[in-house]
Amino acid sequence: MNDALIQLFAEVLQVDPAELNDNSSPDNLKEWDSLAAMNLVVAIEEKFRVRLSTKEIMKMSTIGLARKTLQRKEVAV
Amino acid sequence: MTAPDPKSAWRQYVARQRQQPNPEFDMRTAIAGSMTVEPLEPYLGAHLLSKKFKPRINVGPFNQLRQICNDHQAVLGSGDFNAIALLWRVEDLFPEMLAHCLDTPAAVGDLLREVKGLVDSVARLRKSFKGTLIISTPPYPSMPGFELLDIGQASSGMAVFNAISQFWTQHIAQLERVRLLDLHGLLLNAGMSNAHDVRKWQLYRQPYTESFWQDIGRALGRMIAAEKLTSKKCVVLDLDNTLWGGIVGEDRLEGIQLGDDFPGKAYRDFQRHLLYLKSKGVLLAVASKNNPDDAYEVFDKHDAMVLSRKDIAVFEIHWESKVESIKRVAKKLNIGLDAIVFVDDNPKEIGEVTDRLPDVSCVTVPEELAYLPGLLAETDFFDLAEVTDEDRRRTEMMAADNIRQQTQETMSEDEFRKSLNLKIDVFAAQKQHLARVTQLINKTNQFNLTTLRRTQDEVEALVVSKDALVVGMDIKDKYGDYGLVGVSILKKENKTCVIDTLLMSCRVLGRGAEETFIAKLAEAAKTLDCDEMRGRYISTAKNAMVKDLYQRFNFIHDSQTDEWVLKLSEAPKTPKHIEAVLVLESTPIGRQAG
Repeated sequence: MNDALIQLFAEVLQVDPAELNDNSSPDNLKEWDSLAAMNLVVAIEEKFRVRLSTKEIMKMSTIGLARKTLQRKEVAV
Repeated sequence: MTAPDPKSAWRQYVARQRQQPNPEFDMRTAIAGSMTVEPLEPYLGAHLLSKKFKPRINVGPFNQLRQICNDHQAVLGSGDFNAIALLWRVEDLFPEMLAHCLDTPAAVGDLLREVKGLVDSVARLRKSFKGTLIISTPPYPSMPGFELLDIGQASSGMAVFNAISQFWTQHIAQLERVRLLDLHGLLLNAGMSNAHDVRKWQLYRQPYTESFWQDIGRALGRMIAAEKLTSKKCVVLDLDNTLWGGIVGEDRLEGIQLGDDFPGKAYRDFQRHLLYLKSKGVLLAVASKNNPDDAYEVFDKHDAMVLSRKDIAVFEIHWESKVESIKRVAKKLNIGLDAIVFVDDNPKEIGEVTDRLPDVSCVTVPEELAYLPGLLAETDFFDLAEVTDEDRRRTEMMAADNIRQQTQETMSEDEFRKSLNLKIDVFAAQKQHLARVTQLINKTNQFNLTTLRRTQDEVEALVVSKDALVVGMDIKDKYGDYGLVGVSILKKENKTCVIDTLLMSCRVLGRGAEETFIAKLAEAAKTLDCDEMRGRYISTAKNAMVKDLYQRFNFIHDSQTDEWVLKLSEAPKTPKHIEAVLVLESTPIGRQAG
């Protein structure tokens, strides 16, 4: 598994990367609670050296949507 | 950020501990706040890890400080915590009242009554919780109306804040053993706009940036670690280009840089910080390659010198190596090399000391002299949980020691001992002795039979316990008062009195104090209705000097248990030249607290 974004989610949420895909969201992943959401923002900003706006953060409700947001910011994920 | 990244270090540690069936922890900590404090956990954890602790950190629910104070076990879990740290902000707890204060100054009184309620809650927690209790100062509010750039509002916001801040600090200071984490100070240091992340505040009720959480984690980690770690005892200072700019032997008294203008100002401010350290009980020593007369002339005659000769416990000014000088300082002050911090501007000297005396902590004068005044403040070398009376008087006591030594050289050993008029009080330790007793327990390395370390709360539990006796020893002679310099913890087991702890400060050895202490402990054991004392010698890298202590004072080795046993009828007697008193009921009148 070489997907950097999945790796990051797996590490922060402390789940097996194999359990994650672009459809993973707070609705189907109990580990993704509000505290985890905050930790995910910190981890994404630190790892990919970007700054997310509150609008962008609000939109990242699945891993796939997070990927799209990052791609729009020219991060190769 | 330091390598390795603190967050991943902490995450890896937590994962490893989870895999253990019965993980062991030696620093069980709980943190909670009026805001979300989860981001603090990895930074605090990483700091404690770097100090070789095995920490566990519980994070309490947000905005439940009152509940925690009323029943901390119900909210934080019944883990046997070593430390609880609480962070709070006025704008989280009393937002409406705080806003109201801005246009109605009289409302401040109402707000202070609420703040008093929080003080009372903290006081309740202090009673029910035995471990280290840390609570923050309230930081300058981050809320509408308190913007610092809004010039018109700022002054009224600042006045309201100052009133709350002062009220809080004064009231918390009246509680015993509640330590203040200066969150406001940290905020000043980082700056309001650097410390706050308004996005996270809006989204998650979490006000701070990662880098500010790291600042808080480090500060809190230092406070918690200071409860158990030993701090450094002495700074050995170079002179030329360390205490002043230039070389006094070449530039002469008028030519060195020291005064109100940079770079002289940087050196002067550094000296001011050293004087502050001295007031906390750190000993200052000088190791310089110089002609002694040139160097002393600066101390005696230069107007801008902050340090005077009497502030320096030992001078080593000659042309021999710094390694030799530092060894002599350690010997004269009777401290270990690992209790010494050496400051020099010359990388060669630093390198030589690092190579040959690896236990000494070395600090190089920075290339950028503007950083010199803050050089030692940035380190945790001198973090002390509590400063005792003995600390404050240490340099003066050392001066008395020097006079003693000079007298000793002119007399025979026997005459000298008699001339000292030694007076020794051995007594049951009380509350006012806890800070000093705990300090000795945690920093005495050489004359220490068992080297069992304890926190102040653990010592307090023993002081009030019926089955243990915590004993202190005060020594004075005609040259001065050494203060509380010996500690023993006795535990009664039927007719046996077990010596759990026996230690003394090395400065008082060799004048019959050891013998007196054992004699008085034996008397104490008799009053406990025992007929023997038993003690162990637990060998460490540093306590070889007491290997034969029990043997010297008539204890017999029991090879089955590896204990030393003294029949009380065989106990040593107090030497004739010493006037000694044993008081177990209460402290003698007139003894100094601390």
